[in-house]
Amino acid sequence: MKSSKNIEKEYTPEEIAESFVFPGPKASPERDAMLEAFREHRKKVSEKQSERTKLIAQLLQLKYLIEDYIKSDHLSKEYTFGYFLKEYISRLEKKNNQFAEEINVDPAELSQVINKRRKPTEKLIFRLEIHSNRNFPALMWFRLLEKDRAYELKHHREIIDSEKKNVKQRLAFSL
Amino acid sequence: MVLEEISSGEQVEATIEPLNLNDFKVIKRDKSRFDSFNWNAYKSREVYKLRLVSDETILGLMCLTDHPGEGIDAIEIELLEVSLENRRGNRKFALIAGCLIAFACRESFKRGYEGWVFLKPKTYLKEHYSSKYGFVWVPIKTPSQPEGIMELNTNNSLRLIKRYID
Repeated sequence: MKSSKNIEKEYTPEEIAESFVFPGPKASPERDAMLEAFREHRKKVSEKQSERTKLIAQLLQLKYLIEDYIKSDHLSKEYTFGYFLKEYISRLEKKNNQFAEEINVDPAELSQVINKRRKPTEKLIFRLEIHSNRNFPALMWFRLLEKDRAYELKHHREIIDSEKKNVKQRLAFSL
Repeated sequence: MVLEEISSGEQVEATIEPLNLNDFKVIKRDKSRFDSFNWNAYKSREVYKLRLVSDETILGLMCLTDHPGEGIDAIEIELLEVSLENRRGNRKFALIAGCLIAFACRESFKRGYEGWVFLKPKTYLKEHYSSKYGFVWVPIKTPSQPEGIMELNTNNSLRLIKRYID
């Protein structure tokens, strides 16, 4: 373990900035004082933040949550296509009917998709990409749909078993 | 996210993951590559590693502190270290620290902190954190922290994410 003094001897400031962040005060009272000062500053800046900036942050949060869910091996009952679509609409502070009109989809169809009573059509997904100005690409929505399907197949074997009667012959061995 | 291989100029896919207990053993065994901090003291903390997608070798480490609620809602970069062979002009890969800091920005958005990230700089590094990554110096001075802090807000964080991750 090197002291920061040794590091300063060994590297230029530019090299240090490209390779290190040093720890700050560890003692609780000192840290508390610093965090208290930051809290005040953060509050002042947040009060001045525009609605547009807040909306961008909210949509980015949603986008990263979707990306990370898609990337993970986890299959969630809660995180469905409909759940994330509902989140997208509510973060835009729109009513379902208003949003349905914006993407030219029947409000009943949109409601059924949100409530998992109907699969979204390709057209709807393409329109989501266009509506979001490509920030939420169609591929992302399709991958969410795949995760929904994987969850169903894992937890509802009867979907597959119901087709047994239609298969007249099958392999006699397991691989 | 990609790193730049200096010798070939090629871009190489990288990934950032939480550090697991085995990684701490590797770092301890191989402490000449991460020789500046005692990373074992951070075992119970939120520590991430950066590596190539094609290789398990750890190229960079970062410890984050989450400050949820209580009016702070930000992520603090408490500690960051790039591996020894990637620190100077003759390094193998560039962009390691930038990718790690951009990852902290992304986490900040993901946790609902609107991209707010901060760190406590050494005085002589303020200008460099600013020019390299767009950190803004805030003159929050306390007796123990006369250097103030450096922060990334929503717009600066977004810029960094676009530059290093997207």
